[in-house]
Amino acid sequence: MPQQPDDSVENIRMLTESASAVVPGDGSLDRIRAARFQHPGFSRDVWMTLAEMGWLGLRLGEEKGGLALGVHEAMALSRIFGAGLVPEPFLSSLFALSLMEAAKARNWIGSALHGETIVAPAWQSVPNALDPAGGVSVKAGRLHGAKVAVAAGADVFAVTTPEGLALVPCDADGLTIKRMRMHDGTFREDLHFDAIPCEIHECEKVQDCLYEAMLLHAGFLQGTAERAFDITLEYLRLRKQFDAPIGSFQALQHRATEIKVQLELSRAAIDAAASALDGGQTERLSMAILRARSRAGGLGRLVAREAAQMHGAIGFTDEADIGLFVRKLMVEAGQFAPEYQLRAQFMSLREAAA
Amino acid sequence: MTNPPFIADHPPHPDFNAMSDDAFRAVVRDFVENHYPDIPRFAQRRLRWPEVRPWYGVLAQKGWIAPTWPRELGGMGLGAGKHLVLIEEFERFGCARVHDIGTVMLGPLLMEYGTQAQRDHYLPRILRGEDIWAQGYSEPGAGSDLAALRTTAELDGDHWVISGQKTWVTLGADANMAFVLARTDKAAKKQAGISFLLVPTDATGVTVRPIENLEGHAEFCEIFFDAVRIPKANIVGEVNRGWTMAKALLGHERVFIGAPRLSANALSRLEALARGNGAWEDPVFRDRFAGLAMDLADLGDLFETYVQRLRTGASIGADVGILKIFQSELYQRISEELMQVAGSHAGIKLEEGGDSRFDAAGTYLAARPTTIFGGSTEVMRNVLARASLNLPK
Repeated sequence: MPQQPDDSVENIRMLTESASAVVPGDGSLDRIRAARFQHPGFSRDVWMTLAEMGWLGLRLGEEKGGLALGVHEAMALSRIFGAGLVPEPFLSSLFALSLMEAAKARNWIGSALHGETIVAPAWQSVPNALDPAGGVSVKAGRLHGAKVAVAAGADVFAVTTPEGLALVPCDADGLTIKRMRMHDGTFREDLHFDAIPCEIHECEKVQDCLYEAMLLHAGFLQGTAERAFDITLEYLRLRKQFDAPIGSFQALQHRATEIKVQLELSRAAIDAAASALDGGQTERLSMAILRARSRAGGLGRLVAREAAQMHGAIGFTDEADIGLFVRKLMVEAGQFAPEYQLRAQFMSLREAAA
Repeated sequence: MTNPPFIADHPPHPDFNAMSDDAFRAVVRDFVENHYPDIPRFAQRRLRWPEVRPWYGVLAQKGWIAPTWPRELGGMGLGAGKHLVLIEEFERFGCARVHDIGTVMLGPLLMEYGTQAQRDHYLPRILRGEDIWAQGYSEPGAGSDLAALRTTAELDGDHWVISGQKTWVTLGADANMAFVLARTDKAAKKQAGISFLLVPTDATGVTVRPIENLEGHAEFCEIFFDAVRIPKANIVGEVNRGWTMAKALLGHERVFIGAPRLSANALSRLEALARGNGAWEDPVFRDRFAGLAMDLADLGDLFETYVQRLRTGASIGADVGILKIFQSELYQRISEELMQVAGSHAGIKLEEGGDSRFDAAGTYLAARPTTIFGGSTEVMRNVLARASLNLPK
C-alpha cells in the first residue's frame, strides 16, 4: 500500500476541521432528528453550506471550478458525514457530477457547484443490481423506460443509458416521479420516462464513476457503523444488570470484539482501495472496491443488529439515538447491490485477471 | 548434548532495508533456489532436527539464520517489511521451517533483558546451531491461564532447584536447552512471583516425553523436572520479574502469526481441489469461495497496515490480537470448506511424501492449533475487549 502523500494528510486535516460547519462538533443529532420524514428529508440551507465550502467540487478538475482533491480526501468527508448521519445527498451529487464531467455534459455543472441546482444520478433499473445501462432506451432522441431508488430533492437527473448520459430536469414533460419514504427519514424516488426529448452525451467512464461512488459509500457506511459501535460500547460500560456493567459479561465482550475485527478489516480494505485509486493503479482496483464495499455492507448489517440487541428494549424506541443509526444502516447497507452480487462480480474479475 | 557448530562464512551484510523490495526479493529468491538442500519442500508438518539441520546450516553459514537480529549481533537487521518479503519467498519455494525458538523468542529477550555475559554466551551459540531451544511455558493446569503455573524453583546455595512439569513444548525432544517459567515466590500474587530460567535438558532430573498429536506427529513434548539443579546465574532479568518479559515476547510474534500466508496456502489448495472435482462450476460453491477469497484479500490489506506501523516504529498494542484472531479463524474456515469439497475423500491420511496439494485433512488438522497457541482466540478476545475496547472487568 503506498503511503499517503503529505499534502493529502494536510488536506484531510483541514477538511476534518471544517466539517464542523455541517456536522456539529458536540455530536448533537438534533438537526438530523428534526429533519426526518419531511420532504425532501434534508436542508437546502445546509446544502448551500456544502457548496460554499467547495465540497461538491471535491473531485472535479480546477478548470471546472472544482478542488481536484483525491479519493482519500473525499473519503475523509464521507466517513464524517456517515458518523454524523448527514441526510444531504452529498455522495450522490459527487457521483452525478463525476458522470457529467466524464460525459463532458457541462450545462449544469456550474450551477450545481454553486448549490443552486441539485443533481442526482439515476443509474439503477432494479434495486439489486449494478446495471447502469439497464431499464432505459433512447429512440429518435427520446428517453423511454425507468430508473429506481434515486436520491430525492434533485433538480436534474443524470440518467445513465446504453448510449450515454442524459440530463433530465425534474419538471420535464413525460417524467413521472414516485416518491418513497425511507426508514431513516430521507426519501427516494422511482422515475418513469415517457418519450422525453434529450441530448445524449457519450460516456465511456460510467463504470469508473460507479465504482468510485461505491467506494466512497463504503466509507460513509463505515463512519455510521463506527459511531454506532462507539455509542454501544459506552452503553455496555454504563448499563448495569445483575449488579455489574453488562459490558463485563464475556458473551457480550466477545461479540463486541468481532465488531472491532470487522471494523478494522473494513477500514484497511477501504483505505487500500482509495490508495490504489489515487495512485492511478488499475490492476485489481475494481476487485479491491468490490471487497471494500462488501465488507462495509456486512459491517453495517452486523453493527445494526448488535447495536439494537445490546441496547435491549431502549434500542427499540424512537427516542434513543441508537435507533437513528440502526435505521440509517438499514437504508444504506442495501445501496448499490447485494453482497452476493458483489461476490459474483469479484469472482468474474478474479478469473479474468488470472 | 550439544550440536557441532556451523561457522558463518560470508562477507558483512549490506543494509538490506535500503534495497527496494523487488531487489531484495530477487536476492532471496536466487539464494533459495540455488542453496536449498535436498530435504522436503512444502512439508505439512514441522521437520525434526536431523531432517531440517542441513537447511539450518545453509542459513547459518550465510548469516541468514536470524533475519530480524541487528547486523552487529550476527543478524540480517531486517525491518518488518523486508522480513515479510523473506518469509514470502521462503513460503513460495516451500522451505521447511527451521527450529527458530532461539532466534525468534530467546534471542530478542536476551538482547533486552539479559546480562552481557548471557548475550555473549548464548547468542553466538544460537547463530551457530549449537543450542536448540525449547519454550517451557504451559503446564497441565496452566494453559490460557498461564500465570496459574506451579513449577517451582528454590535457591539452594549457588543453584536453583526446579521441580514440576511443562507441557505442549513444541519440538522439545530436539532441544538441548529450554527456557522455563517457574514460581520463585509462592506467597506473592499469581503473576508477581514468577522467574525466567535457562535449563539444559541433559541436566540430571530432566525427562522429556514426546506426545503424539492428532496429525500423528510427535511435535509436542512434556518435560518433567525432578529437583533439577542449575547454576544461580541461569536466570534472565530479576527474580520474580519473569512474567512481564514472557508476555512481551508474545506481542511481536502475534503480528506474524496474523500474516495471511497460512490462509493463502489453504485457499490455493481449495481452488486446486475444486477445479479438479467439479465443485468450481457450482454457483453455490463459487459464492462461498468468493467470500473466503475476499476475506483473505482484506486480511492482506489489514496485515499491510500493521507492517507499515511496525516499519515506522509505532506500537500496535492490544489491537495486534485482531490479526491473529481473524487469520486463524479464516484458516479454519477455509480448511473446513476443503473438507466439505473433498466429500468422501475428506478423511484420507496422506502417505509420507504424498502429493500435499490436495490434502484436505492435513490442512484441517494443521489449522486446529492456530486458534489455541500463542493465546487462544477466547483469551485474545478477552484481552481485546478490555485493553482495546475499554470494557469493564
